Amino acid sequence: MTLTPPRRRPVTLVTATVTVALVAVHVLAWEATEFSPAALVQGWAGMADFLGQALPPDLSGEVLGAAVEAALVTLYIGLLGTTLSVPSALVLAVLAARTTTSGGWVYQAARTVLSFLRAVPDVVFALVFVTAVGLGPFAGVLALIFHNTGVMGKLWAEAMEEIDLGPRDALRTNGASRVQVAAHAVLPAALPQCLGLLLYRLDVNVRSSLVLGLVGAGGIGFLVNQSIKLFRFDEMVTHLLVVLVLVVAVDQLSALVRRRIGA
Amino acid sequence: MSLRIRGLRKAYGGRTVLDGFDLDVAPGEFVVLLGANGSGKSTALRCVVGLEQADGGTIETGSRAAMVFQQIHLVPRRTVIDNVSAGALGRLPLRRSLHPLLFPRELREEAMACLDRVGLAGRAADRAGRLSGGQQQRVAIARALCQRASVLLADEPVSALDPSAAEQVVALLADLARTGGLAVAAVLHQPGLAVRHADRVVGLRAGRVTLDERAAGLNPADLDFLYGEQGAAA
Ligand SMILES: Nc1ncnc2c1ncn2[C@@H]1O[C@H](COP(=O)(O)OP(=O)(O)OP(=O)(O)O)[C@@H](O)[C@H]1O
Ligand SMILES: [Mg+2]
Repeated sequence: MTLTPPRRRPVTLVTATVTVALVAVHVLAWEATEFSPAALVQGWAGMADFLGQALPPDLSGEVLGAAVEAALVTLYIGLLGTTLSVPSALVLAVLAARTTTSGGWVYQAARTVLSFLRAVPDVVFALVFVTAVGLGPFAGVLALIFHNTGVMGKLWAEAMEEIDLGPRDALRTNGASRVQVAAHAVLPAALPQCLGLLLYRLDVNVRSSLVLGLVGAGGIGFLVNQSIKLFRFDEMVTHLLVVLVLVVAVDQLSALVRRRIGA
Repeated sequence: MSLRIRGLRKAYGGRTVLDGFDLDVAPGEFVVLLGANGSGKSTALRCVVGLEQADGGTIETGSRAAMVFQQIHLVPRRTVIDNVSAGALGRLPLRRSLHPLLFPRELREEAMACLDRVGLAGRAADRAGRLSGGQQQRVAIARALCQRASVLLADEPVSALDPSAAEQVVALLADLARTGGLAVAAVLHQPGLAVRHADRVVGLRAGRVTLDERAAGLNPADLDFLYGEQGAAA
């Protein structure tokens, strides 16, 4: 005897409505962004012209040396911006994780601060700090500290919420205070994940410190911006090649360390 | 009287789990709680240590009671001695307790004495996660000792252990009562262990005590009743 399988679920009204709505939104987006393959084809001559000027890249010692030096500054901006955001991210994460927070308004306030810092892009912070402390890498570091506190604090809070709650409860019955419980049960358990996230953020921050340079916050992004303004596209390509090497190196290093700590 | 519970009540969303639970454990006495799944044993112990809030009744423990769990709940990445020392957090000032490196020397010495009491002083420097289940449970008991409680509660401390490790841990609990003067109450699911080691056996059925006997006097009919059809809270 053969068993009859259950009937397939029919396409419902909901599925149909969602499909139509999705198509409509994409049509709207196409028009709002003035998306136009025709314009791309017409602009082809300009692109070829640009490539003609950009290639071959200017690999003279002078240009290359300046690029490497500036790339190091970019690396340092990313590194300091990440490291110096650790204390603030840690405090906010502990206050914003349900496993450690004292709850109520503290939790809400910490969540709000984190959301705000995350919502403001680092480029916007950089523009603000360039006005405050002038052009240069320092503004970039400040921008990263603020934005990264928001992102890393949120990620760390989530890591702290995912731990096994048993050790926390056990220490609570010992009469340990909230801070003590966080220090002896929650943080040790969340440490590998938090370290992995820190390395991931370092990787991201080095890449964004390049963008920060474009708006005047030092590093190789600044050089890229200058060479575009001076129509030295061959120098610009050299800068981008150096950036490529830097980004791949940091990415590989961060991935390697993350694998080693198993996070 | 070291532990004295009277008329403990607890309901979850209208379902009664503890229905006037009474328990006395004297200093130096080892009491085993038996009862079917869902009869309210864990809930009663969790109320005593403050992990649950009772709806009614009174609990007297002198100082704060210590508790060990079936899942042990050590911090596996930390060393054995750091885990044991954490039992003392409640009496340490914050500035001496934010990291194990800040623990005072006297505390570390006391923790070593507690570890020695459970026979594991030799493993003090190992990571807790590297020990066997039975050894980890003894470390958890050492942590409870380091808390200096006079009442020690254990919720199914040996349910995840092999028979010989289970025997060893229950014997340790009995010894802590007899020679250490602690009031010890343990939930077990093995009546045999209770008969061999306990002074007294208390049976729960649907959130009430229905059996309270000297361990030696326990008989099969008592157990049939405890674990019978309606043993759990309906
Ligand atoms: N947090 C909770 N919310 C709702 N119901 C709960 C909660 N904790 C326990 N209960 C219910 O209370 C009853 C008693 O649970 P308890 O864990 O105390 O039983 P137990 O005697 O320890 O059982 P076991 O032998 O399985 O450990 C069970 O029916 C359980 O489902
Ligand atoms: Mg239980």
